[in-house]
Formats: sequence, C-alpha cells, structure tokens
Amino acid sequence: MSGQPNNASERKTGITIKTTQEDHLIAWLAALAIAIHIIESVLPSPLPGVKPGLANVITIAVFILYGWRTAVWVTMLRVLVGSILIGTFLSPTFMLSFSGAVASLIVLWLASRLPGEGPGPIGLCLIAAMAHMSGQFYTAYLLFIPHDGLFKLLPLLMTAAVVFGIISGIIVRSMLQHLEKRKNDTTAQQNEQEK
Amino acid sequence: MTRADYCIVLFAALLLPYLYISQWTGDEAGINATIMNGSETTEVSLAHDHTLEIDGALGTSIIKIKDGKIRFAASPCRGKQCIHSGWLEHAGEFAACLPNRISIAVLGEEPRFDSIIF
Repeated sequence: MSGQPNNASERKTGITIKTTQEDHLIAWLAALAIAIHIIESVLPSPLPGVKPGLANVITIAVFILYGWRTAVWVTMLRVLVGSILIGTFLSPTFMLSFSGAVASLIVLWLASRLPGEGPGPIGLCLIAAMAHMSGQFYTAYLLFIPHDGLFKLLPLLMTAAVVFGIISGIIVRSMLQHLEKRKNDTTAQQNEQEK
Repeated sequence: MTRADYCIVLFAALLLPYLYISQWTGDEAGINATIMNGSETTEVSLAHDHTLEIDGALGTSIIKIKDGKIRFAASPCRGKQCIHSGWLEHAGEFAACLPNRISIAVLGEEPRFDSIIF
C-alpha cells in the first residue's frame, strides 16, 4: 500500500478536489453556525424578527479571529444551508435573514477599516446586531409590509437588537478569553514536553 | 472595552430613546378638515376655534372646532352617531351623520391610505 503511487486512488474516485486548510476551517465554523442557526429557529419568539441571534456569535468570533473574508464565507454558508435545511429557502424568512446578514457584514467591513484599535467583541456584536435588525427591517418594509405603521415596531425591535447584541458580545468575549487560555495552556504543555 | 466600544454603546444608548420618541409620540395632528355636505365639499382649518352651522338634508348640524379638534356638537338626526363619534384630531379620523348627509374628516399633511390589502 505504501509503495503504491497516489494516482491509483485518484483514478478510482475520478476527480479529487484539493482543499486548503482555510476551506476546512470555513467548513467547520459554518457547520457550527448552521447548527446554532437551526436550534435557534425552533425557539419561540414573542415578536416576528426578534431572535437572540446566537449564530451571529460565530460570525463575530470568526471576524475577530480570522478576518472579514472568512466571516463572509461562514455567514453566507450559514444563511444558505441553514435555510435549505429548515425549509425556508427563498421564503420571506430567508430574505430577512439574508438581508440582515448582508447588512451586518457591511458594517463589520466598515469596522475593520477603522483606524486605531477598533471595536472589541462587545462593540462589534452590538453594531452588527443593530445593522442586522435595520437591514431586515427595511427589507420587510420594502418587500412585505410597505405600511408606515411598521415603524411603530422599530423601537421595540431595535431594543431587542441592542440587548441581544450586548449579550452575544459578552458571549464572544468570554469565548475568546477561553480560547486564548487553552492556547496558552497547550503551548505551555508543548514547551514542557520539549524540555 | 476599547474606545470604539464605548462609542458604539453610546450610539446605541442615544439611538433608542430617539427611536421611541420619534416613532411613538406626536401623532401627526390634523391641520385641516373636510366637511362634506351632500355632494359639496368644503375644507376648513382647525387652527382657530369656531362653530359652524351646516344645513343638511334633515336640518342644521352644528360642528365645533376647538384646540385643533373637530366634532359634531348637535344634529337633527335620530341616532346621534355623529355626536357620539366625539372629538376628531388625528389625520384620517372621520365622523358622519348619514341621515343629514354630512360628514367630516381630518386631513393630514398628505392623504393616507385607509388600509392596504394584499
């Protein structure tokens, strides 16, 4: 087996797609986000459009750890695959979550362009949640309910976005701290082993 | 928390009260009202208080305008539904005295839809 050339197995399976390390990373993170997205879709909601948005935790964490490009991949895969699995693909629900995701990614891009230190997890989560809500609100207004009465809901929806944005910001912060700690622990262990 | 974080939190903290105030208060007060008497329509301003007497199909209806509001004060009809409608002040509000063929409606800055049905 070990002496066999690699192209023998290639001939059997036909085409092999070369995957990069980044592809694997995106796939793993997207799978995690999709799982959260689906679990969250089962939760009851007091008002249409109000959801904790825990899947955005992944978006923000990925944005901080791996940059905007990876965050776009993970988020778009999450919205697309999540909606196909739930069965809301191209339905109003999908349109709302898609437009919200696009709006929050645009805001994250702007945030990554800020000079200086830039916002941390809480600021990023908050601004992304607010952008998400604005994006889906205007989509709802333009496509589904073009009535000025809808604006009466905006203060409530935005309050929910702010509250959940801050909560998911706190989650992202503790998640990153945890990851940092584990990374330090493993490097410390490795250093000890090398000694 | 970085400085940008505080700016974003401050922005959110300012945006929310602004949204509540701008969306939940100050329902557009009517500026004018139309009075329809049979097929003829007259427009009146609600800016100054006065009383109108309008001769309809049955008799004279008295319409009062006060503090930017308008109402039927008296009517020769039997049901007095028009009087029970009370003061009208928001754009789009409407009262009618069908027996006397008189109706009043408060107009906003621009005419609004009664409803939209898909």
